[in-house]
Amino acid sequence: MWGDGMLKAYIASVEMLKIDRHYDKSYVDMALEVIDAVLNGVGLTPSELDYIIVSTAFNSLLTHQVGSSYILAQYLGVKNVNVASVEAGEASGAAALDYAASLVKSGKASKVLVVGFEKMSEYPSWIVNREYSKILNYMVEGIKGVTPPDYAAIIMKEYMSKYNVTREDVFKWSVKMHENASKNPYAQLPFKISKDSYVKSLVMSDPITMHDSFPVGDGAAAALIVGDGFTNNAPKELVELVDVESSVNLPLYLREDLTVFEATAKSLSKLTSKHRVSVTKDMALNVYDTYNIYGLITLESLGVAERGKAHEVIDEMPYLNVGGGLKARGHPVGATPLYQLGELYKLMTEGFAGMKYDGEYGIIHSMSGPDNTSWLVLLRRCVR
Amino acid sequence: MKHSISIFWRDRENHYKLLITKCRNCGKSSYPKLKRCPYCGSTNVEVVESKGRGTLVNYTITYFRVDGSEAMLPKVIGLVKLDEGVKVPAEIVDVPDLSSLKPGLEVEAVLRKYSSDDPHGLIYYGLKFIPSIIKKQ
Ligand SMILES: [Zn+2]
Repeated sequence: MWGDGMLKAYIASVEMLKIDRHYDKSYVDMALEVIDAVLNGVGLTPSELDYIIVSTAFNSLLTHQVGSSYILAQYLGVKNVNVASVEAGEASGAAALDYAASLVKSGKASKVLVVGFEKMSEYPSWIVNREYSKILNYMVEGIKGVTPPDYAAIIMKEYMSKYNVTREDVFKWSVKMHENASKNPYAQLPFKISKDSYVKSLVMSDPITMHDSFPVGDGAAAALIVGDGFTNNAPKELVELVDVESSVNLPLYLREDLTVFEATAKSLSKLTSKHRVSVTKDMALNVYDTYNIYGLITLESLGVAERGKAHEVIDEMPYLNVGGGLKARGHPVGATPLYQLGELYKLMTEGFAGMKYDGEYGIIHSMSGPDNTSWLVLLRRCVR
Repeated sequence: MKHSISIFWRDRENHYKLLITKCRNCGKSSYPKLKRCPYCGSTNVEVVESKGRGTLVNYTITYFRVDGSEAMLPKVIGLVKLDEGVKVPAEIVDVPDLSSLKPGLEVEAVLRKYSSDDPHGLIYYGLKFIPSIIKKQ
C-alpha cells in the first residue's frame, strides 16, 4: 500500500464503443461489448468481479427495462457479484464512479466494473426529446412544456447581452469541439465545421441550433476500478481515481444570476479544500457542454477564465475536451462520464487523439441540466 | 404529453394560481407553493398569491418537439419576473408579432390549455402569460 495508509482506487482499463445510432445493437449488446473488451484486456473473467455498477439515466424510459444491472449479470453468467444501477440524471456516470471509488477505497471491494450506456435511438426524436426533458422538474417545468434547450437559449441570450459577447464568440466552442472530435475514433460527429455553420443549422430553441447542442446517439463505455493489489502487473503509468465531489444548484428560475454555475464552483471548492489542486489552462479538463454556452460558463465557474471571457481562452487550452465534448463526441447520457474518463485515461497513459498529457492531474466535470447538480472527478497520474 | 390525472390533480393549486412562498427566516421569496424555503431550508414559510403581473426576463422561440404534433410550434418559452420579485418559467402566448418580444415586456397570467389526452381524454389547464398590451386593447 502506498501513501498515507488510506486505500487508493486506480483505473485499470476503460473501453468505449463508437457513438452512433446503433439500430443493430440493443443496450445489452452495447454493454456486453465494452465489458468484454475491458475484461479481455486485463485478463479477468466476469466471475472475478466484486461489483458491477451500471450508469444509465433513461434505460427504464426508453427501453422498458428496470434493473439492468442484474440483467447484464445474468447475460454475463455470474451470480456471486454485487450489482446496482446509479442514477443522477445526466451526471449518473460520475455518481457511479464515486460509488466505485468509495467501495475500493473503503476496502469493501477491489475489482469494480462500472458500465455506462444509453440507448437513445429506439424512438422518434420527439419521444426522446420528451423523455430527455424529464431531467428538469416535471411538476414545475416539464408540465408547462419547458425543455432543456429552452433554458440553454435563455442562458445564452442573457450571457451575450450581459458580457457583450457575440454569437460568433459562443460558437467558437462548437468549432473547437468538432476539430477535436475529428481525431477521436469514438466520436459520433468526427468532422470539422465552419465558424458560421450555425447560420444554416436547424433551430431548436432560438438561438440554440443543432450545431450548438449535442447530437442524440447510442453509446456504452466501461471502466475497471481496482485497489492496490491489482496494480502489481499494471503498466508503468497508472491513473488514480483520487476523489469525486458534487453539489446541487437551485432550479434556474430561482437563481439570481443565470450566467454562472454555482454548483460547479461549489464542487471545485470542496475538491480543492481536500486536495492541493487548481484548474489551469494547461490541465487535462473534460467538461459537460450539452450546449456550447454551458461549456463556456463551466470554464468560468471553474475559475479558468474571467466571467464573459471563456471564448478568449479556449484556444489556449490544449487538453480541453480532447474527445470533442458532448457537442461532437456525443452524449449517450449514462455513458458520457465514462467516455470522459476513457479520453482522459488514455490521454494520461498511452495517448489519445494524437496527444499525450504529462501533467499530474486531470479533471472531469459532469452535470445534469444547467448545473442542477454538478460533479467533479479528480484523476492523478502515478509513475511507478 | 400524457399526464397522470392524480399527479396533475394533486398539484392543481399550483397550476391554477400563481403561488409564492415567502420565507420568514431568510426573507427570500420563491416559486411555487413550497413547504420549505429552497434558499435556506427553513419550514417557517407563508404562501401568498401573486397578482399575476410581471415582466419578461428573457425568452426563446422554440421548435423543440416534445409531442407528436407540430401544430403548436413554434412556441415562446420565457422566464417572467413577477411584480412580487419572483421568477417563474412559463409559456408566453397570444404574441401577435414575435418581433415585439423583448426583455422587460409587461406580461400577465392567464388560464390556458396545457395539453390533452387525445382523442377523448382529459384536457389539462394551467397558467401561461400574455403580453399585457393584449389585455388593454
Ligand atoms: Zn429561507
